[in-house]
Amino acid sequence: MGASSLPLSPHRSPSRGEGCHGLPGQADIWYLVGFEALVFSSYFVVYLLYRSWNPDLFLQSQQQLNQNLGVLNTVILLISSWLVARGVQAAREGRHEAAGKQVWMAMGLGLLFVGSKLLEWSLKIQAGFEFSTNRFFSFYYFLTGIHVVHVLFGFVFLGVVLYQLGGPRRRSQPVIEAGAIFWHMVDFLWVMIFALLYLMR
Amino acid sequence: MSAVPTAPPPRPAGRWARLGWHWRHDPKIELWIMWWAMFCFYQLFGVVFALMTRVMPPPKPWWGQARIVQWFSDNHDGLLWGFGICFLISGLVASCNALIGYSMRRMSVSRAFPYAYIAIYSLSTLPGMLLAAILLTVGAMRPDRDPAILSWIYDAAFMTFVGTMGVFLVGTAIWMLAILLDRNRVFPLWFGYLNICNLLTEVVVAPVWIFQEGPFAWNGVITFWVDTLVFVVYTAAFITLLRRLVLREDFGEGVLPDLAAPSAGRA
Repeated sequence: MGASSLPLSPHRSPSRGEGCHGLPGQADIWYLVGFEALVFSSYFVVYLLYRSWNPDLFLQSQQQLNQNLGVLNTVILLISSWLVARGVQAAREGRHEAAGKQVWMAMGLGLLFVGSKLLEWSLKIQAGFEFSTNRFFSFYYFLTGIHVVHVLFGFVFLGVVLYQLGGPRRRSQPVIEAGAIFWHMVDFLWVMIFALLYLMR
Repeated sequence: MSAVPTAPPPRPAGRWARLGWHWRHDPKIELWIMWWAMFCFYQLFGVVFALMTRVMPPPKPWWGQARIVQWFSDNHDGLLWGFGICFLISGLVASCNALIGYSMRRMSVSRAFPYAYIAIYSLSTLPGMLLAAILLTVGAMRPDRDPAILSWIYDAAFMTFVGTMGVFLVGTAIWMLAILLDRNRVFPLWFGYLNICNLLTEVVVAPVWIFQEGPFAWNGVITFWVDTLVFVVYTAAFITLLRRLVLREDFGEGVLPDLAAPSAGRA
């Protein structure tokens, strides 16, 4: 991302008060990221506490998860996040059509993520592991479920980004960047959830 | 609450005279009455549900029939006095909805937003408190009933109180959309985004219907404590911001004045 020092698009030079100095997007979206990070941290702490109270059950249940699917999910979201970052870069350079394409592809990968999650859940339910099977699976469905709800919100954000990229009069670079930041947050939260649910030993 | 009438007489010096002046000449008097009604409602709500009736934090979902009968008898007076107050003040919710609806009318968005919000939130007292209050009052008033019936009442009361959040979910989404689309800067953008967090808490409570114990039960760390914390932060934020809205209100049409650092670049 060395190009972040490139001049912003001539359509919209940043006026004072748009975001903070050097902070992409609007300061307001970062408050949301901070608050969400707090809420999710509290979920993670609760998960770790319950895990530490019953390590054997959590370890055994964890082995039922398909790590390959988890890795695939992570790669899908990381690539989509990368595409969104490229889209923001393109928008900054004034290449709005290219930016739109990147964001469309990112959304497609997001859909693929939701699809693979639905597939994973249905495989688990077929194998007899449901929400109330045991505490680990409660956390598994809860954390992945609430994350998917965030992905759905992410589609709304990316939809706004696409709308804004579509016409010069609608465009606002801070709003485009705010949408991208939300998508990166969704990606980041997934990486945490992936590490805690699938990998932690 | 239309245009400001011709210049009011100067404010008198004495406290009572000044109150009278505000009553007769302050164009914001209705807004202030609504705001104070809302403020008092949330204070009383906290006192009734946390201190008097002991409904928040909720008692244990896994209790047997004997323990539930015991709970009703232990809290008999608190339940009756508390919910008596609750029934009296439940109408104040209308003033909260009115003020929030007014905030959306002041925005640059369609009138459909405030109307939809008020229509949906007019139902809010039922799942939010009245169903639980009615059920628990019945339980407290009929201690001689079959313990199995009392347990049913207890379960129904807490499940409706903690678990039925669709009204709030849709209402919050409407307010959030209005804030994010608004060009008049009635609320800061961060509060629009904070609505997402509050909205998500309404999703998080769904597991209380399944679990009788643990982090996802109706008294669970995640479904009750984290959610309630988010709700308290959200409520404190909007009460403060609505007060600022009343202070800033100029009864005009365009951008609401008096924002220290306006965040530009709205959709």
